[in-house]
Amino acid sequence: MGRYIARRLIQVPLVLVVVSLMTFLITRATPGDPVQIMLGMQTSKEAAEAMRKEFNLDRSLPEQYVLWLGKVVSGDLGRSIRLNDPVTTLLAERLPVSLQLAAAGMAFALLVSIPLGVAAALRRNSWIDYLCTGYTVAGFAIPNFGLALILIYVFSIRLDWLPITGIGTAEQLSGGVWTYVKPFIIPAIALGMLQTAILTRLLRSSMIDVLSQDYMRTARAKGLMPATVVVVHALKNAMIPFVTMAAIQFGYMIGIQVTIEYIFAVPGMGSAVLNAVVNRDFPVIQGFTLVIAAFFLFANILADLLYALLDPRIRY
Amino acid sequence: MSTASPSPAAPYRIPSSLALAARQFPRHRLALVGFVCLLAICLAAALAPWVAPYDPVQIKLGSKLKPPSWEHWLGTDHFGRDVFSRLIWGGRTSLSVGALVVAFAFTIGVPLGLASGYFGGRVDNLLMRLVDAFLTFPPLLLAVALVGLLGPDIQNVMLAIGLVQAPILARVVRGSTLAVREDVYVTAARALGARPTRIVLSHILRNVMSPIVVQLTVVFAAAVIAEASLSFLGFGTQPPQPSWGRDMSEARRFLADAPWMFMAPTGIIMLCVLSINFLGDGLRDALDPRAWRTRRRLADGEG
Repeated sequence: MGRYIARRLIQVPLVLVVVSLMTFLITRATPGDPVQIMLGMQTSKEAAEAMRKEFNLDRSLPEQYVLWLGKVVSGDLGRSIRLNDPVTTLLAERLPVSLQLAAAGMAFALLVSIPLGVAAALRRNSWIDYLCTGYTVAGFAIPNFGLALILIYVFSIRLDWLPITGIGTAEQLSGGVWTYVKPFIIPAIALGMLQTAILTRLLRSSMIDVLSQDYMRTARAKGLMPATVVVVHALKNAMIPFVTMAAIQFGYMIGIQVTIEYIFAVPGMGSAVLNAVVNRDFPVIQGFTLVIAAFFLFANILADLLYALLDPRIRY
Repeated sequence: MSTASPSPAAPYRIPSSLALAARQFPRHRLALVGFVCLLAICLAAALAPWVAPYDPVQIKLGSKLKPPSWEHWLGTDHFGRDVFSRLIWGGRTSLSVGALVVAFAFTIGVPLGLASGYFGGRVDNLLMRLVDAFLTFPPLLLAVALVGLLGPDIQNVMLAIGLVQAPILARVVRGSTLAVREDVYVTAARALGARPTRIVLSHILRNVMSPIVVQLTVVFAAAVIAEASLSFLGFGTQPPQPSWGRDMSEARRFLADAPWMFMAPTGIIMLCVLSINFLGDGLRDALDPRAWRTRRRLADGEG
């Protein structure tokens, strides 16, 4: 186990180097000059040169990459060309926002998928099972921004229950939990819909699988309460693939927020990358993609660990 | 020999696996519905100049933000353009991006997956680490970044989505190739001295074709949603060209006054993706002989 974790952790920097190299090459191989975008067309040659020098853009490509990588190792992601702030400062602003949104989306996915998946598996071919199937099928088909617009239309415009833009901020916490949670509801549902569909389907099928096992019959024959049988014997086992999938999906959620951030004007990681791409803000693009990729990799490792932790049969 | 009795002379032609699958497919009712819907959407898009009742880009401010009526089935937008006509024309972009992405993913992903799965070893390791690196990028963000860097142009949209989907397909193909690599017929072909290219192309490819086809429907659905997302964010189709995603983005400003403006594109995207998903499910069953027997038993007594 320890050796397996160590091996996986050693791979992380390797994959990150490949990822950063790819980002680097893509940004440099495509047209667009950050300095020109930043300073505009009418600047003097000297000013442009000075700026290029400042951001090492006058050096050869291998030099640029090695310089950047060297700084990253010591925790310095460089400075934004556009905003002139350190990339780490920007990250400190954006990452918590994205994490909150991702957590809200995942919370919604778990809240819906666990009861729905279990109920559908227990009552196969009943109305709840059909509801579950319909829900997952729709969840796979609807684009999250379309769902967001529908929810805004119904709950913000028609019913006027929920705010149209923004998500909760830490300051709102002083106004009570509800003021903080309220703005999260629509973005969370829109963002978590696909994950809900994936997780519900997974839990339903793994529940059905577990329910047909011999030990379920034994548990029932022992005269255990039906609720105990379902929760302790069935759900606990069915949760193993579920938890792993939830961890993997959580790793994805930071990266798929772009459209939701765009609709709700949320200053998250996605919109930062979007702006950086438009402005060719190389340090920001590289720094942010690195963090997003690292987040995804660690979520995957966490998924593997949870798998081994929950299922004693699995040994790495 | 009499013609009535089953004669050994009358050759019984074993139906090809494709013919069997074609016979199997319509049994999956939802898949058939999906197929028909998708066909209808494709035809409407292809025949847009004849099917669409109005010009999709012509501005008529006199009839702006009109709710659905007999004249305008799905209402009009803020420039007085017919929403229904824009949906039909917008389908051209979405569906052609979908088709091109499928073609792109196929030409890149399948050879890579086959090579990786069949040859294994160092080739496999190198290719799969590359795929891993690609897959650590969130797909949509990667596509947005690529289009943002290359410029918002339909070819770049296609390329960006294709580059995101190809590695996923490659991984699926690799997995299936690994599964059949050690099958008896492959060993037999190898023992007969067939060259690797021949083994891969005429023995392995044939047998991993069904997961490929099923995955391609997934790719198509993902491409339709990705194109809509990119256009929604302003990185895809540019106005005034009709586009499902772009039109939804415009509709955001008129949520209260003209809800049909966002509902129509949302609905058509859902219908399109649902149809593709059902089609994929049907193909999965039709192409997998193991799934036939149970279905047959359940459906009717026909042999």
